[in-house]
Amino acid sequence: MLHEIPLYTISVEVNERTYTEKVPAQMTLLQFLRERLCLTGAKEGCGVGECGACTVLLNGKAVDACLVLAVEADQASVRTVEGEARDGELTLLQRAFIEHGAVQCGFCTSGMLLSAQSLLEKNPHPDQEEIVEAISGNLCRCTGYVQILEAIEAVALGREEGG
Amino acid sequence: MIRPFKYSKPRFLREALEALEKENTRALAGGSDLLVEMREGKSQPEHIVDVKAIPELSCFSIGKDGITIGGQLSLNELADSKELGQTCPILGDAVRTVATPQVRNRATLVGNLCTASPAADMAPPLFVLNAAVVVASKAGEQRIPIQRFFQGPKKNCLTPGQLVLRVEIPPCSSGRGVFMKKSRVQGHDLATINVAGWANPQDGSLRICIGACGPTPVLLTGSDELYQRAVSRDELLDGLAMLAQDQIAPIDDLRASAAYRRHLVTVFLGRMVRILFPEEGGTSRAS
Ligand SMILES: Cc1cc2nc3c(=O)[nH]c(=O)nc-3n(C[C@H](O)[C@H](O)[C@H](O)COP(=O)(O)OP(=O)(O)OC[C@H]3O[C@@H](n4cnc5c(N)ncnc54)[C@H](O)[C@@H]3O)c2cc1C
Ligand code: FES
Ligand code: FES
Repeated sequence: MLHEIPLYTISVEVNERTYTEKVPAQMTLLQFLRERLCLTGAKEGCGVGECGACTVLLNGKAVDACLVLAVEADQASVRTVEGEARDGELTLLQRAFIEHGAVQCGFCTSGMLLSAQSLLEKNPHPDQEEIVEAISGNLCRCTGYVQILEAIEAVALGREEGG
Repeated sequence: MIRPFKYSKPRFLREALEALEKENTRALAGGSDLLVEMREGKSQPEHIVDVKAIPELSCFSIGKDGITIGGQLSLNELADSKELGQTCPILGDAVRTVATPQVRNRATLVGNLCTASPAADMAPPLFVLNAAVVVASKAGEQRIPIQRFFQGPKKNCLTPGQLVLRVEIPPCSSGRGVFMKKSRVQGHDLATINVAGWANPQDGSLRICIGACGPTPVLLTGSDELYQRAVSRDELLDGLAMLAQDQIAPIDDLRASAAYRRHLVTVFLGRMVRILFPEEGGTSRAS
């Protein structure tokens, strides 16, 4: 056992704002976001990489924040669901989720949005198989997935108009 | 909750090797096995050495001399490489069955091997490709055949002070491979069994490796001779099924019974042989 818990200074850009904080090594990125920055959009479902409720974008890539240490995110950029809407304006994907009834309890929604968003930024017109694969690490206990797929497909097919 | 520990992220290999000599110190790559183990209290290291800033682990090359994959390469970096997909499709086929997109963005190929799970999905393809694991310690580098790297369930051959730098795969242009995995659900799950096969008509070799059916992945011995002797595909298949049933040692666990695993192995060998040798009659060594 360690007698003293060492602290590490990290500097992380979260939703385009830089935070410099002292953290213990055992703190996960998910705890850091939720408990230090009060960004509670990312949820803890399982804590072990199975459910995707904690999905955030780390340097542009979807990751489970429960399986990243906060110290590992030093010098990295992170996007959480709180940073998606701009000036009160929802993203196309967020609007599509609402319009297609893709949100029930909402526990999976922030993770679903970020997994789908990272797919659409890499591949703006994915087919259904690619969409299914992109959200395969995000479990939803409510919707049965159909509405979520429809919402993402609508954006992929350009059926969701901007503005 | 994870027990407190010390964290360092060395930029020099020597620094990492020195740190890893100490007791209760573990290397951290993508963390998808280690952090889960720590959270579940199955391992409680005092010091974690993050390997993601060590330049010796960042190599990735595909050439005439073979393929080199460094310890920092994530599974998705491999899946996204078109060149790797063209040169050695069996690797990408296996990668795409592992875990979820989020996990694959972090999890490394080397970490998958180091955990040494009997069900590791990246093991069977690397066994049939005759890969080697390059290990560094303060004494120098060592090249370890992958079969020797796996010592038992979740037990690799590393000793304190050793770190895997990369995996090396010999040239694989003159052969053809297949990877297959059976899991309980259509989505992401660990393998109930996984199987890889590699046939090279030029030198008459046939390598088959079966995972989750023994303490380590099982590379069948005697498959080359069968391949060279068999006069028909059916004969080859019968022979392989017999070899496999003799050499595997599956257990009952939450994923499947030993008997079901044995059954699956024969079914998968049949499918694999039909893909490797599409012609009904012989094993087309001549063509
Ligand atoms: C939700 C989930 C689903 C999964 N599904 C699958 C699956 O379908 N198939 C499958 O095969 N696996 C699966 N896994 C397991 C896991 O993702 C893989 O084994 C992964 O490839 C491990 O790599 P890593 O980089 O995350 O390793 P880490 O967790 O960082 O390390 C794993 C082990 O290797 C050691 N290590 C790491 N790098 C080195 C090095 N360079 N030298 C020496 N030791 C080192 C660590 O100390 C640790 O003991 C799953 C995991 C999760 C969380
Ligand atoms: S809480 Fe991170 S994957 Fe479930
Ligand atoms: S809406 Fe409830 S879990 Fe998906």
